[in-house]
Amino acid sequence: MSPGLTGYVLRRLLWAIPVLFIISIVVFYMLRLGPGSPVDTILGKQYYTPEQAARVEAKYGYDKPIYVQYLKYIANLAQGDLGISTRHQNFTAKEIIVPKIWVSTQIGIVALLITFGLGIPVGVYAALARGTFIDPLTISSWLLLDAIPPFVLIPVAQWLFVLKLRWMNLTYAGVWEPNMLVPILLIGLPGVAGVARLMRASVIGVLNEDYIRTARAKGLKQQTIVVSHITRNALLPMVTVIGLSLPGVAAGALFVETAYGIPGIGRESLQAALAPDFDVVMALVLLGSFLFVMANVLIDVVYAFIDPRVRLGQARGG
Amino acid sequence: MSNKTLLLLMGFVAFLILVVGVIGVVAIAGGGGDDTNASTGGIPKATAKPKSSSGSGGGGICQGKSLIVPGNDPTSQLDPIQVADVDTSVYIYEIFSGLVTLDKDLKVQPDLAKSWEVSADGKMYTFTLRDNILFHDNRRVTAKDVKDSIERAADPKNASPTVKAYLGDIVGINDKFDGKAKEVSGVTVVDDKTVRIQLIEPADFFLAELTYPVSFVVDVQQIAKDPLNWTRKPNGTGPFKLAEFSPTQRIRLVKNDNFYLGAPKLDEVVFELGGGSISTRYENNELHIGFVPPQELASVKDGSSPLAKDYKPGNELAVFYITLNTKQPPFDDPKVRQALAMSIDKENINEVLLYGTQRVATSFAPPDMPGYDKSVRGYGYDPARAKQLLSESKYAGKMPRIVMNYGGSGGSSPDILVAIQKGWQDTLGVTVELQAVDPAAYLREQRRGTFQMLSDGWSADYPDLEDFTGKLFRSDSTLNLTKYVNAAVDALLQQARRETDRTKRNGLYAQAEQKILDDAPVIPLFWPVTHTLVKPCVKDYPIASMTIERYRTVDIDPKGN
Repeated sequence: MSPGLTGYVLRRLLWAIPVLFIISIVVFYMLRLGPGSPVDTILGKQYYTPEQAARVEAKYGYDKPIYVQYLKYIANLAQGDLGISTRHQNFTAKEIIVPKIWVSTQIGIVALLITFGLGIPVGVYAALARGTFIDPLTISSWLLLDAIPPFVLIPVAQWLFVLKLRWMNLTYAGVWEPNMLVPILLIGLPGVAGVARLMRASVIGVLNEDYIRTARAKGLKQQTIVVSHITRNALLPMVTVIGLSLPGVAAGALFVETAYGIPGIGRESLQAALAPDFDVVMALVLLGSFLFVMANVLIDVVYAFIDPRVRLGQARGG
Repeated sequence: MSNKTLLLLMGFVAFLILVVGVIGVVAIAGGGGDDTNASTGGIPKATAKPKSSSGSGGGGICQGKSLIVPGNDPTSQLDPIQVADVDTSVYIYEIFSGLVTLDKDLKVQPDLAKSWEVSADGKMYTFTLRDNILFHDNRRVTAKDVKDSIERAADPKNASPTVKAYLGDIVGINDKFDGKAKEVSGVTVVDDKTVRIQLIEPADFFLAELTYPVSFVVDVQQIAKDPLNWTRKPNGTGPFKLAEFSPTQRIRLVKNDNFYLGAPKLDEVVFELGGGSISTRYENNELHIGFVPPQELASVKDGSSPLAKDYKPGNELAVFYITLNTKQPPFDDPKVRQALAMSIDKENINEVLLYGTQRVATSFAPPDMPGYDKSVRGYGYDPARAKQLLSESKYAGKMPRIVMNYGGSGGSSPDILVAIQKGWQDTLGVTVELQAVDPAAYLREQRRGTFQMLSDGWSADYPDLEDFTGKLFRSDSTLNLTKYVNAAVDALLQQARRETDRTKRNGLYAQAEQKILDDAPVIPLFWPVTHTLVKPCVKDYPIASMTIERYRTVDIDPKGN
C-alpha cells in the first residue's frame, strides 16, 4: 500500500469515529426515551409494583440519568462488553450476537458467490447476444425469481421440497448441512437478475470503446476479447456493487432466516427490535454502521488497485 | 478467467435455467414426490435419528427415546425465583423441583417432601423430606437447602418479581424483602430431613402456592461459586438435566438417572427453538408434538384430515376478558359497563371467527378450576336490556371518547376485537377506538392505570380460586387493574383466604365472583383451548391445563403407530 493510500485509509477510519459516536448517542437516547423500559422486558408479564421496578432499575443501573448510563455503556464497550440481553437473560449481548453473525455471514458469503457468480456471466452473455431474442429471455427468466416476493416463494419452496418431494427437512442443524441448500439459493438467486442487468449495461458500454475495436482489428480471437478485454473492463463498476453488498452479508436475510428458523442475525435483529432488547439493538446498529463505513473504505481501496487513475493519495478530508 | 471457465459457466447458467423450469413444471403439475421418494436430505443431527420416508405413522422418529418438541426461547433466566413467564417455566419445571408438585389433574402431590403435617390452627406446616433426594451432581438435598433457597428468594438483592405474591403468606418473607429483617423467621430447619414453615394466617391454598417455582430448591453453593453463569448449567433436583442451551436454536434436556421418583422413560427431550413452520415439520415427522394450524382446525375436528387421529384438545386454566378501568369515565358508571357486557355476542364470534374452537366464558374463573361453580354467571347477550341500561346511565347522550388498548404491533386489529367493537357500535351506538400498544408500553399502562379499557388475559399460576378471583379483585391487590372497590367483595375474599374448609371456601369465592360479575368491572370473553397434535407413538403425553412437570412419564413406543 502506498503511503498516500495508507494515509487515506487512516483518515477515513478516523472520520468513522465521530460518525459512530453520533449514531450511538442518537440510538441510545431513542431506545431509552421510547415506549417501554428495560425493566418492563426484564420483569416480563408480571404486574410488578413500583418498588420491584426500582429494585431492578438499581440492579442494572437504569435509575441513573441517561447520559450517565450512556457513558457507562461506552466505557464497557471500550472493554469489549456489549451489555446484557433482556430477551435472553441467561446470556450477554455479545454471546447472542457473535454466533448469529457468524451463521449469517457464512450463509451470506455463499449466497453472494451465487448471486455474482451467476449474475456476471449471465450479464455478459446477454450483452453479447443483444439484438437477438436471447438477450431479453435470459434476463427476464432470472427477473422472474427476483419479482416473486420472498414470502410467496418461501412457502411454495417449503411445500414442494419438504412435504411434496420430501427431499429435505426444516430442522436447523448447522450451516453446512444439505438442507441449507434451498434457503441459501432463496437468498442468492433473486439477486442474480439485478447483477446481470448491471453487468449487461456495463458490457454494452465497453463494447463501444475504441480499444475493443482495436483488439478486433488486431485479429484477436473472440474469446480472448470477451474475457480479457470486455469482461475485465466491464467488471470495474461491479466493485461498488459487490462492496456495498458486503455489510448486507453480515446483516442476514430476515425472511429466509425467519421462515427456516435459522439462528442468524436477520431473525435476531427483528426480534430484538420488537422486544426491545436494548443492548442487542445498540450493538447491532453500531456494528451495521461500522461495517457500512468499512465497506466504503474498502471500495475506494480496491478501485485504487484496479484503476490507477483513481488517485486516493490526493483526496482531501476523506 | 479463462475461455474454458467462461464457457463452463455459461453452460451452468443454461443448466440452472433448465432446472428451475423443470421444478416449475413439477410444481404446477403437482406430480412427483409421493412417499416413494426416499429422503436424500436426511439430516445428521446431534441426536442422530434415522429420518423417516413414509408419512403414515411417524416412522424413524419413533425409534429411540428422544422426544423432539417445538419450544420457545426462555426470556427470563433459568432461575426459579426470576421466572414469571410460561415460556421459561416449561424448562424450570423439568430441571428443578420443590417440596410439592401438581399432577396432571392439578392435585397437589408430594415431591421433595414425602409428607407434611398441618397444625390445628392451620398456620404451621411441617414437611418431612425424602431420603433419596439428590441434586444433579449427586449432593444430597437437606432441609437447609430448602431454607437457603427460600432465603435467597426473599433476598432484596435478587429482586425476585414473584416472591411477595407467592410466598408472602410465610412469616418474615415481606420483612426480609423490604429490608426489615436479615432472615425469614417463618422457615426453620428442625433437622436434616424436617423443615417447618409458619404462616401469618391460615391459608388453605398454601400448598398450591408452593408448587409455583419461586420456592423450588436451588444449589446455593453453585450460585455462590458462579453467580453470573450458573443458570446455563443449573444444578437442579428435577427429573431432567440441562445438557445443551443454544439460544434461538435448541434446548436439550437429558434424563436424571438418579431422580428420586424414578428415572424418566425418555433419554432426552429436545426443544427445537428454531427451524421452519411447526405444522410442516410435524407432518414431515421432524417433531413429535405439533399444533393444529387454525385453517385446518375444522377438518381436524370433523375427522376428515389425516391429522385428526393425533388431535388432543386441552382446556387452559385461563380466561380472556376485557378490563374496564372503573376509575376512568365512562366506566365509573356500572350501567355503562353492564351495557357493554350485554352487547357482545360471544357465541356468534366463537362460531364465525374462531371456528368454534374456544369456550364461551359464562363467568370469570374457568370450569377446570377446582371449586368452579357453574351457577355463577356473568351477563349474557341481551341487546334490549343493554340499550335500556345505557339510556339510564349518566353518560347517556354524552359519551366521552373511549379507547381500548391491546398488546400488539399495529397493523389491523384482531378480528375478535373488531367484531366486539362493531357489536357495541351497532347495538348501543357507542364508538370504541382500538389502539395497539407495544408490549412494554402495554405493561406500563397496566401498572399506571392510565388506560380506559384493555383486552386482557389471566392464566392461573396455581390451581386455586385465590389466584383468580382473590388476586385480581381485592381492592388492595396490585393485580387489581380495574381499580374495582367493593367492601362486600373484599370481606368475602378476606374470609375465603382464611377459611380452611375447602367447600366453604369455594362457596365464598363463588359469592364474591357473582357480585363482581354483577358489577362488571371485567367482561369475560373466552376460556382458551389448546389444539395439540401428538404422534401416535408418543405415550402418556399429558395435556394439562397448566404448565407442570410434563415429560418424566412420557414414553416413545416404536410399535405404537
